[in-house]
Amino acid sequence: MSAEVELKSITKIYGSVVALDHFSHTFKAGKIHALMGKNGCGKSTLVKLMSGVIQPNEGSILINGKETNFHSPSDAFAANVVTVHQELSLVRELSVTENVYLGRLPEKNILGVSYINWTLAHQQTKALLSKMGLDIDPDTEVSSLSVGQQQTIEIAKAMSFNPSLLLLDEPTSALASKEVEMLFTLLRNLKEQGVTMMYISHRMSELAEIADTVTVLRDGKLIGCVEMAESSNDEIISMMFGDVAHATRPARTLSAEKLPILEVRNLSSANRFKDISFDLHHGEILGIAGMLGAGRSELMRAIFGADQFDSGEITFEGIKLEEFNPRSMTAMGIGFTSENRKEEGLVQAHSIHDNLTMASLRKNSPYGIVSRATESTAVAKQFADLHIKAGNAEDPVSSLSGGNQQKVVIGNWLNISPKIMFFDEPSRGVDVRAKEQIFKIIWQQSERGLSSIFVSSELEELLHVCDRILVMKQGIMVGELDPTQTTLTELYSACMEGF
Amino acid sequence: MQTLQQFRRYPMEAILVIIFLLLSINAPGFFTVDNQLNVLRNITMQGIIAFGMTMVIISGEIDLSVGSGIALSGCITAWVTRELIVITGPVIAISVGAVAAMAALFFIGVATGKLRQHFNMPTFITTLGLLTVLSGVANLITDGFPITSFPYEFNFIGSGSVLGIPVPVYIFASVFSAIYFLMNYTSFGRAIYAVGGNLEAARLSGIDVWKTKTLALGITGILTAIAGILIASQILSGSSGAGRGWELDVISAVIIGGTSLFGGKGTMRGTLIGVLFLGIIVNGMTLMNVSEYWQYVVRGMLIICAVLLNHSLSKQTSH
Repeated sequence: MSAEVELKSITKIYGSVVALDHFSHTFKAGKIHALMGKNGCGKSTLVKLMSGVIQPNEGSILINGKETNFHSPSDAFAANVVTVHQELSLVRELSVTENVYLGRLPEKNILGVSYINWTLAHQQTKALLSKMGLDIDPDTEVSSLSVGQQQTIEIAKAMSFNPSLLLLDEPTSALASKEVEMLFTLLRNLKEQGVTMMYISHRMSELAEIADTVTVLRDGKLIGCVEMAESSNDEIISMMFGDVAHATRPARTLSAEKLPILEVRNLSSANRFKDISFDLHHGEILGIAGMLGAGRSELMRAIFGADQFDSGEITFEGIKLEEFNPRSMTAMGIGFTSENRKEEGLVQAHSIHDNLTMASLRKNSPYGIVSRATESTAVAKQFADLHIKAGNAEDPVSSLSGGNQQKVVIGNWLNISPKIMFFDEPSRGVDVRAKEQIFKIIWQQSERGLSSIFVSSELEELLHVCDRILVMKQGIMVGELDPTQTTLTELYSACMEGF
Repeated sequence: MQTLQQFRRYPMEAILVIIFLLLSINAPGFFTVDNQLNVLRNITMQGIIAFGMTMVIISGEIDLSVGSGIALSGCITAWVTRELIVITGPVIAISVGAVAAMAALFFIGVATGKLRQHFNMPTFITTLGLLTVLSGVANLITDGFPITSFPYEFNFIGSGSVLGIPVPVYIFASVFSAIYFLMNYTSFGRAIYAVGGNLEAARLSGIDVWKTKTLALGITGILTAIAGILIASQILSGSSGAGRGWELDVISAVIIGGTSLFGGKGTMRGTLIGVLFLGIIVNGMTLMNVSEYWQYVVRGMLIICAVLLNHSLSKQTSH
């Protein structure tokens, strides 16, 4: 039941973006193949193509020499190609058995009426689990299992399709190290049974442990494929990023005196981050780097008071803070743009005007009565300063492009004349031009004295935008870097391996 | 073409005008001053509550308890009046009773909001329970019989007229103006739209989302009490049966007016139209001798059609 996969000149285009560009490669049967590349390199697109979620514009996929034509995920299942996605797709309220055989529980026929054959279903699930070396009662409700156990159920479900090719998209991102070990034992087991696997992960140390080959993609193209045993981390990272020319940074004049405006001491929050201490200086742009799940966003949300933390101290302008919630932070002049613009940043159904004046509502309402004139001036100013492209301030904010929506989120905060801004992934889902404009806004505001904390998954951006970079790894602050003295490769390995 | 666009912008207004014209022609005695004043008098009680309900629904919550709230506030007012009238005289007794009723319903609304905030109790559940609880309390106060403690002069507030216009209509107009101002010109009103439109975005923008929702529920409590006192004045007694089933009429009017049950969207003008709409239809059908059973069918269908119309129109404009 082993499968050799041959991709021939695969091209996938989304609008004007080429996600995969004539990608050709053969994945040998019975091995674990790691797929690597930075965000947007095309590896997720590749997995989606193989699992029948999307179809290529050009090219063909051959499995064991036979051309396939997947129009839907069920076509892929039929060809024994099964995917384990990054997010868990289990129904938490149902039992293990029901999840594994969701929509295809075995039935029995008594007197012309079909019933679910629970005995058989549980037996089959039990057999499946024990074959994988798992001791879980098939009748257990999934919600009572740990995240790691849930991930193994997800794989058990995949196994019930008898895959010859198993696609794993960041299966370890939610797992603790012990659970990762368990998963790897399982994968090695499957490999012995001859299953071919394609494995996406950002954790390089894991790949060294589990993968046989590493295939690197950049900008939708195949850069190379190396044997894991014969390659070094540095080699793989330089393949991922290529020869990076340092992006142009504006000449920044930071005052030599480093006066802290925000001091964070020993901040801890169970399971999210531990013992975090740092200073934010007047007028500086401080970057926080780290892999997904390193606790960057969680840290910012806690400092802003959006989430609670367990212990630690925060001092703002020399005064120790006692109250932590978005309202008191806003009143003091601290702003926060969420990484989820749609869900947490904007009221989609409301106008651009209303969205630009949400945080400054109290400021613009003497005696509780909104001064429309003050608001309109502020809105007009943000339209001009941020180059917001929109017909009319009364149009719904949902009619804007991603980049312009992000500018509205930022403008909403600039209208309170903030002293500190937390930018969480401000360039997510934004085109290149708007990205550059947003960085320019952050630089300009910094010249005017705004201190910012900047979080991004794009490491190039951090080097490009920030004055100083802190690195977080699995909830712990592991070090500090000077972006002018740091290469992308160095920053990347700092995020993955620590210092 | 232009009229079609106007129709799309103000569909309910247009239909209201058409129905008004049809009834003027077909329903005997519809288009007379007396009857129109009668319509106005009939819609005021539910209308006053509907304005508060609009705030609550836009903020993303709901209040199903207003029907029993009406009964309770009338009974509190009547009971306090009965106890105090010999000591303080009627004016002070009724005033104290009315303030006590408004305070009681305000605090019930606030309590509902606090349950939502601290225990994540959906207001749908809390107020569904309160619908029964408040009705029970009203019965406990009255022992099941109307309290007829009011002097006849009290009837003026609910049934009297000034300059030919019923007194409740003045109160209705004042409440509408006040809430209209609140929703359109104050930070509180804008906060209501924001928390209903996106709770998390509003919270992260420093808006006190729970105070906003709680206050909307409290204000609706006060408005319910006002409507309850007006009815007590009309029937000159505190009755535990007053306002039974009104919660659905009130919510219907709000929905017909285009307010989204999901929160964040809706206008006071829309609710005003919705209230007028229901009032005219009921009055017209009664004048045309349509059986009461058919009236229920028509009123129910109206809600469904109104929402259908609003949905299909908003889909068209968004393309």
